[in-house]
Formats: sequence, C-alpha cells, structure tokens
Amino acid sequence: MKSREKVAIHGYGAYIPYYRLPTTEIARVWKGGGSGPNVEKAVAAIDEDTVTMAVEAARYAVRMAGIERLGAIFVGTESKPYAVKPTSTIVAQALGQHFTLAADLEFACKAATEAMQIVTGLVGSGMIDAGLAIGVDTAQGRPGDDLEYTAASGGAAYVIGRKDGNQIATIECSTSFVSDTGDFWRRAHERYPRHLSRFTGEPAYFYHIENAVKALLEETGLRPSDFKYAVFHQPNPRFPVEVAVRLGFNTDQVKCGLLNPLIGNTYAGSSPLGLAAVLDEASPGERILLASFGSGAGSDAFYITVSEGIERKRGINPTVKSMLERCAKIDYSTYAKFRGKLIK
Amino acid sequence: MMAIQYWRNKDRYYRLIGVSCTRCGRDFFPPVYRCRKCGSEELKDKEMPKEGKIVTFTRLYETLPGFETQAPLNLAIVELKNGVKVLGQVVDTPEELLKIGAHVRAVFRRIRVDGESGQILYGYKFVVEHVDARRETG
Ligand SMILES: [Zn+2]
Repeated sequence: MKSREKVAIHGYGAYIPYYRLPTTEIARVWKGGGSGPNVEKAVAAIDEDTVTMAVEAARYAVRMAGIERLGAIFVGTESKPYAVKPTSTIVAQALGQHFTLAADLEFACKAATEAMQIVTGLVGSGMIDAGLAIGVDTAQGRPGDDLEYTAASGGAAYVIGRKDGNQIATIECSTSFVSDTGDFWRRAHERYPRHLSRFTGEPAYFYHIENAVKALLEETGLRPSDFKYAVFHQPNPRFPVEVAVRLGFNTDQVKCGLLNPLIGNTYAGSSPLGLAAVLDEASPGERILLASFGSGAGSDAFYITVSEGIERKRGINPTVKSMLERCAKIDYSTYAKFRGKLIK
Repeated sequence: MMAIQYWRNKDRYYRLIGVSCTRCGRDFFPPVYRCRKCGSEELKDKEMPKEGKIVTFTRLYETLPGFETQAPLNLAIVELKNGVKVLGQVVDTPEELLKIGAHVRAVFRRIRVDGESGQILYGYKFVVEHVDARRETG
C-alpha cells in the first residue's frame, strides 16, 4: 500500500517504565528456580497505565515533530484502563488537542502499526496535515503462566505528517496480512489472556510476518540486503531472530531494535519501541524494515527510509538506550503490588 | 462528586495550566483571578514549564485516604523554571537522588482511583532527572 501523497515521520517518542522485574524472580516464585527467555521485563509503576505511558511517549513525539495541530490521535492497545471510555480522548486532553479524530484500536500486539497505517492514509489523502499513532500496553500474564515472563509495559508514539523536508523518515510503503488464527485471545470480563502454546509459533507468528514481509518485498522490488535495519515484533528473544533468518535477513540487521531480552514483550509497544531504538541510531538514506504481529492474527510490514531531518532532531528526546539504563530492579512481591495482583 | 470537581480542573492537573498577568508578566499556578503582584485582572491561561527543582521534600508513610497503595510516597515543593512553586509527588526516583536542588520534570500519572468501578483521576507528578537524561533533554 502506498499513499498518493508522500507521508513521513516527523517525530517519535519512546516510553519504558522505570521498574524491571528479573525473570529469575518469576521462576523463583513459581518453579523454585531458573529464568524466563528474557532477562528482565519492564513493569509499570502502581500509578501508571496505558493512558499515562501514551501521554509520556506522545509528549516526546510532539516535541520532536514541532507540529501544533494533530488531526488524528489513535492509541493501539489491548490494556485500556476503561472497558468503556476511550483512552485516546484522555491523551488528546493531556496534549491540548480537541479538533482531532480520536480512537482506540485493538489488535493485540499489532494495534500500533495499524494506527500508523491509518494516519498515513489520512495524511496521504489530504484529510489531515498530521496525526499521532501510539502503541502502548501494560501487558499482564496470569501468575505462573508462560506469558508472565514476557508480558511487559511500555510503548512508543509517532507523529506522522506530509513529507515536507522536515521529516526524520519517510514511510515508503506498507502491507498487511491477516487470517483467523486462534493462538491468543481474551474473552470479555476475563482478566488475563489465554493462548495455545504450540500454535503461537508456526501458524501464527511466522506465517503472518513472512507473508506480510514477502508481499512488501515484492511490491517494492527490494531484497533483504537492501535494508540496514529490520525490526520484528518481539514476543520473546528468539522469534524475531528466527523470522529474520528465514526471510533472508541477518542477525546484524535485527540487533539494534531487539529489546525483548531487556524489557520483555510490550505488546502493541513492542515493534514501535524497536523502531524507536533504530531511529536513535540510524543515518539518513538508510532503509528500515518494520514488521508487527498481532495475535488473532495478522502482520503489518513497512518500508521506511531515514531522512536528513533526523540529524537536526537527534538529542531532543531521551534515547531508548537511556531509558533502558535508567531503571530499578524490583522483586516479585513489589511487582504483584504494582500490577494489582494482590487482593486486599 | 470527587470526579466532577476534578474534571472541571482537568487542564490544571493534566497540563499545568495556570495564568499569566498580561500587565506585569507574573505567572500563577493554580490560577488566580487577580494578579498578586500588580493587582491587574487581565490574566490569560498559560501552560507552566514542565521543569524545575526541588525546594523541599518529605516522605509520607501515612497518607490521606485514597492514597494508601502508593505509600510510602515522596511529596515535594517544586520551583518551576518560571519561579512558580507547586506541590507534587516525586516518583521513579532512587533515594540518593531525592534532594533539595535536584532537577525534576513533570510527568503524567494516576493521582487516585475511585475503587474498582469509579473513575481514574490523572494529573502531574515529578521525576528527578538523571544527569544523562538531563543532558539528552537539553
Ligand atoms: Zn501583574
């Protein structure tokens, strides 16, 4: 898919909460030892949720973009604080934006990239000058479940507008691939999601990402070696590397945006945070491949090129690296208190 | 009731919207109707700067009802860059960085939650900037 008018990223903001739970802590409590696939996961504080993290990431993104009017604000998440009452309107109020199309999007871990595609469409058609796409989650796993090791908190926001010379990167093309695959779901009124463990890899993650990326390569005529960086959704440390290799990318292309070992799976925030880490490092002219994956299931793939503007705007916001470094470790009981797993 | 009063002042809590005197330029937060410096009633809304430094602080082990789950909590008087002083909670900060003169930045957080089914009230709190983070935010 390509927009009629060229559309670009003008600013981005990452948000990783301050607290880290080592997976050895989870394993200690539930298995008597060992660890999860990732070293640690990022945990939102007791007074944080999807709204607060979306606002923080959005404020950074808007500051970098230097754009005052946002014609659209989309928040992609599976962890809305209210079942009924939009997250995006609270974010809009906190940003002082009122004449804006605000909506929440839901597609598990894919919700942010569809926000990016929709804003791209609105800008590309000339309906709005610029909009905000946010992906953020306070993902929760049932205590003791495999998901608990990786389910983490964090996200990123992107201000997308017309390509006018001030952009930091251009969105050249994107593709989507979806199917009805039942590997991950949460029914209404249920607190924690469920998953079919053996289903999560082959027919879900690999099948959808491979199809979306192959379609993107076909549409653009590019080969994996044409990209400097590749960012894939990161449910664990292993899958993004494996899908990269299967598609003909190498581990060097994946390394920069691979955050799962240190923060876990931030769901809708996962691939957008990986892209933010890459943009922190990338140079003008370099090509980036971004591919999300949302359980249930589908993948959006993007071809993005880095623009000159990135050099001017670098240093405006704290980097993903600085957010990884600024952290405090907590134990399982503090995590249980923060994330409401204790009943008083 | 609590939520309605809060909602009326949401821009104050969400964005630190105060007022600025159009005659003498003094800023006020929370908003006033009459300038306390020059007496003018010509005041306009203004978003306060989000950075400042700690004037003084205390650590609360006993809290007001509704804040129990956040205890122990740090409460500080912060002088914003425009000289306005604000009372706020300090979060995500190791004890050794919490001191008078420390540079802080306003963040958006949950202030309190009205039970399992009521509304969630959001507002500003403060985080002490690490040296690295301060350099990078300029
Ligand atoms: Zn005055």
